[in-house]
Amino acid sequence: MIAKLAARIGALALALSSIGASAQTFPNDEAKLYEAAKKEGKLVWYESAPLEAMKAVAAEFEKKYPGVKVEVLRVVGVAQYQRFLQEVQAKRHAVDVLHISDYPSMMDLIEQGHIADWKVPLHDRIPEMFRMKQHAYANYTTDNAIIYNVNKVTPEEVKILASSWKGVLDPRFKGRFAVTTMKCGACYANLHMFLDPKFAKEYGPDFLRKVAEQKPVVYGEVLVGLDRVIAGEHDFTFWTWEGIGVTHFQRGAPIRWVRPSPTPEFGNSWQAVSKYAPRPNAARLFQNWSMSVEGAEVLQTKYGSRTTLAGIDDKRSVVKESWYQPIKEVYPVDVKRWERDFSKDLDLWAKTLREHGR
Amino acid sequence: MTGQRSWAARAGWLFVASVVVLIVLVPLAYTIDAAFYKETKIGLSSERSLTAVINVYTTWVYLETLWEAVRLAVIVTAFSLVFGVLMAMLICRTDLPFKRTLETLIILPLFLSPFTGLIAWIALGSEKTGFVNVAWRTIAGLVFDNPPAIANVWTYGGVVWVMTLFFAPFAYLFTAGSLRKVDSSLEEAARVSGASAWTTLARITLPVSLPAVFAAGLLIFILAAELYTIPGIIGTTAGFTTMPWKIYLDSTQFPVHRAHAAASGTILLLVTIVGVWMQRRVTRVSERYVTVSGKGFRGNPLKLGRAGTTIALGIIGFYILCADILPFGALILSSFMKFSAATITSEVLTLDQYRDIFRIENVRTALVNTVVLGLMSGTVCLLLGLAISYAEVRAPGPATRSLAFLGVLPVAVPGLVFGIGLLWTYIQTPLYGSIWILLLAYVAKFLPYGILVTHSGILQIHSDLEASARISGAGPLTAMARITIPLIKPTLIAVFFFVMLMSIKELSASILLYSDRSQVLSVLTWHYMDAGNYQFAAAVGVVQTMLMLLLVIGTRAIFDVGLERALGKGGA
Repeated sequence: MIAKLAARIGALALALSSIGASAQTFPNDEAKLYEAAKKEGKLVWYESAPLEAMKAVAAEFEKKYPGVKVEVLRVVGVAQYQRFLQEVQAKRHAVDVLHISDYPSMMDLIEQGHIADWKVPLHDRIPEMFRMKQHAYANYTTDNAIIYNVNKVTPEEVKILASSWKGVLDPRFKGRFAVTTMKCGACYANLHMFLDPKFAKEYGPDFLRKVAEQKPVVYGEVLVGLDRVIAGEHDFTFWTWEGIGVTHFQRGAPIRWVRPSPTPEFGNSWQAVSKYAPRPNAARLFQNWSMSVEGAEVLQTKYGSRTTLAGIDDKRSVVKESWYQPIKEVYPVDVKRWERDFSKDLDLWAKTLREHGR
Repeated sequence: MTGQRSWAARAGWLFVASVVVLIVLVPLAYTIDAAFYKETKIGLSSERSLTAVINVYTTWVYLETLWEAVRLAVIVTAFSLVFGVLMAMLICRTDLPFKRTLETLIILPLFLSPFTGLIAWIALGSEKTGFVNVAWRTIAGLVFDNPPAIANVWTYGGVVWVMTLFFAPFAYLFTAGSLRKVDSSLEEAARVSGASAWTTLARITLPVSLPAVFAAGLLIFILAAELYTIPGIIGTTAGFTTMPWKIYLDSTQFPVHRAHAAASGTILLLVTIVGVWMQRRVTRVSERYVTVSGKGFRGNPLKLGRAGTTIALGIIGFYILCADILPFGALILSSFMKFSAATITSEVLTLDQYRDIFRIENVRTALVNTVVLGLMSGTVCLLLGLAISYAEVRAPGPATRSLAFLGVLPVAVPGLVFGIGLLWTYIQTPLYGSIWILLLAYVAKFLPYGILVTHSGILQIHSDLEASARISGAGPLTAMARITIPLIKPTLIAVFFFVMLMSIKELSASILLYSDRSQVLSVLTWHYMDAGNYQFAAAVGVVQTMLMLLLVIGTRAIFDVGLERALGKGGA
């Protein structure tokens, strides 16, 4: 009896608190938001990108808004989704801003009503493919690339690789490159394009089989494969993404990359304010700043990925390199097909490699 | 008075039992329960279902991964025992010189986590660019054209090799104690009858120690069957998948198969139950070898001779080269590199990692948390393990035996799966987000070592000694405190050392339970490795290893007991 009563009181309290949260309005005026955020003192940011880069981004925010500290917690991929949901179900609201590296996870959280409806001031400058309603934004792009070791691939071979994704089928590349069977957004993006019905004749499962017959070395973790390319164990990766290439290039690794056309480009990591953010003003201030011109430029320089915000110059040092080529033609992902076929396509890729690649 | 003392002992045992139920049974129940739900794309629905259990227990997709895990664990156990037991026999039963130094070097791999060990072996053993192959080609190239690689870690053999180097110290530690207590008159009789030192070791020493060897083997088998990092990362390239790696993939990659991961966890749990049951039967057999009984004991080492000593030093030296010098060297070298490279030039080298490492607030926090958690989990596992084992050995019965059995179970439930159970158990408590939830995870995960090792230690103290104290009027707690504990003090200190080291290296549960306030070094290492920054991960790994060494040296100075000796005395 007591337990039932307690449960009902708990349910009522939850209902009231959620009404309160949805009814509460937050100032979109920066000065007022900052004042309110200062009273909250900090925010907790669950993020999924490399820790040191995101700490550097958070430090720039703290510099701009003294008195608002950012606690950065790296929780990668599905683990972040699960952790957040478990906290929501247990009513232990710890996080203010989420940054999840999976489109389906973020969409699911929005559909379940766990994400705050918060339109950032520069909402209209963010292309539609990089936003989910007024709830979540991809603050940087992920575009796939063939990263090669400059000491292992000749300029002539670079031209072949850059000319088309089919360049990899050239007999001279047999046994010289690394691939991955890992299930991640960037690991999938190219498969998504190769298996697009409109490219059925050009690519499709037959192309995957031919790639497998080139006897690539298969890695379970995409970045282990890239590390082996940097070391010179293999000559190039078929495929990774530019952002991680920039990170290693800036450290001095002997790598460059090419991006054959069309190049899959998509929002891999999605940032949003939790509906239950314990520090709602600080969370919104951070979200606004992340999607502002200043935040975008900070992200570009500290992390090395291009911003999704339109009208921002690419100020990354790598673009000044003589060999650097911007994307010629973007392949926009089909979100619905992505969600539907992600697992099936990756399983097909793993099976093809198993049957034809060994 | 005696009645009051017994009551106090019973109350103490009940308290320990409640703690074990809370930190082991409840999370385990959550873990198992998760196997019986329908899955959504990203988690579990509220609907019950047997689909995951049926898939895991009946389809080849999962059974093959179980077969691969068991096959690999059997091979690794066999090789680890060959290396570990041979070295233990040479150190404990012969007149080999430099024993103290050699012992320390044999157990040194314990100071390396499997993850950082893997970073080192990738740098060492890659076919074209591994340091070992580059060095070999440089030397052999003087004589031959294009000499082939002598090592390739990206193969099945590579996995077995790296895991064997990692588990051989366990075989050494858990058999050395028993070997030290073998009555040397048996060996002397063999020598007098004309047997060589090597024949005596093979025909007399080894058979007498078989129960301890078998028990150590079972423990290694369980641990090897549960390990996911090394077989996972190398296994994909080598073309096989083990069940722990499948659990990792099912738990962390989209679409998540959480119920399948939990159901796979129950299979590993069953493997553990059988293993622990067999281990306990074997340990009971070894009770016949109880040695501390109030009587004196003498032992003369077998004389190896000059040739024998050279061969023995060669064997142990080869192991030390492969398990210590090469991986530690590679790890230190990697920590001074800007990026992975096959040849070391000034362009590749940097001090940046070490310049940055102590500037980062996370590293400082992680360092403090790691030390606190290591010391505390060592202490708690020691106290709980002692209480549980003491009750089981001195007051055997269904309740005490069940508690000891229960406490050992988490040894083979993958930390990822068990961590989710712990999260569910404690998410609504103030422990969530603090370092205390990590402490609970470590205690649950490493209590098995506390129980297994103290159990062996107590078994070797004949109950007659305590009975004498009881006749003289001492209560059970007094008899334990005055008689048993002083006699097994080295074993107790060894348990403390060992659990402390294992806690410092723990990753899989920590990764699920840590927060900004409860960062630990193993999680930080993983973050840098996961983001592709292997050099920074190596630097954090070096700091972690140095920390372990300092803690062991410090504790050793305070208690005047070495880990290698103390655990060796405890045995399995």
